[in-house]
Amino acid sequence: MSHLALMTVYALLVGAFFALLWRRGRKEQLRLFLQIFGGMMIGAILLGWLMYFFPTGPAAPIP
Amino acid sequence: MTEAAKSSFPLRALLLCIAAWLLPTSGHLFLGKRFRALGFAVVLLAAFAIGLELEGNLYRPVPGQPLSYLATLGAMGVGAPYLVARYATGYEGRPEAPGFEYGTVFLLSAGLMNLLLVLDVWDIANGRRDEE
Repeated sequence: MSHLALMTVYALLVGAFFALLWRRGRKEQLRLFLQIFGGMMIGAILLGWLMYFFPTGPAAPIP
Repeated sequence: MTEAAKSSFPLRALLLCIAAWLLPTSGHLFLGKRFRALGFAVVLLAAFAIGLELEGNLYRPVPGQPLSYLATLGAMGVGAPYLVARYATGYEGRPEAPGFEYGTVFLLSAGLMNLLLVLDVWDIANGRRDEE
């Protein structure tokens, strides 16, 4: 699986978990799930783009 | 909190918490929260299975590395799946696997999530949580 796919699966699982744990009622659960899922995905992609501006170090040695 | 919950020794809650730790989501199941128990079971088992599939690190104590003890406690939070994977199958993870780091995160997250569920079971059993 790609990094993005794994990140998406992880965000799905965490979002579903906390929505079930912290909210009662389908609407509230769905809203929290979308907030957590969206926050993790958008946040990670934004951080990834911000890191683009940092200088890269030397290439990692191939084991 | 109800009067009964205030006055009685929380033995039932304690037993439920032990069950919830050992068999993930069983605490919610015993409390009659079937829908949530099913949802939690899917999430926890999926996280644990993906972690194993990616050959992540199933933490164990490493002498001289204090953080490994904390990580082991977190990973052990998932209960029976940890014990079975570690002691029955001898699973260790494979550091050279491409998904090793991701797998470690999934395995550790499954343990930490189940520990949160144990606390939730404690609160529900003691009447400290508003339930529908």
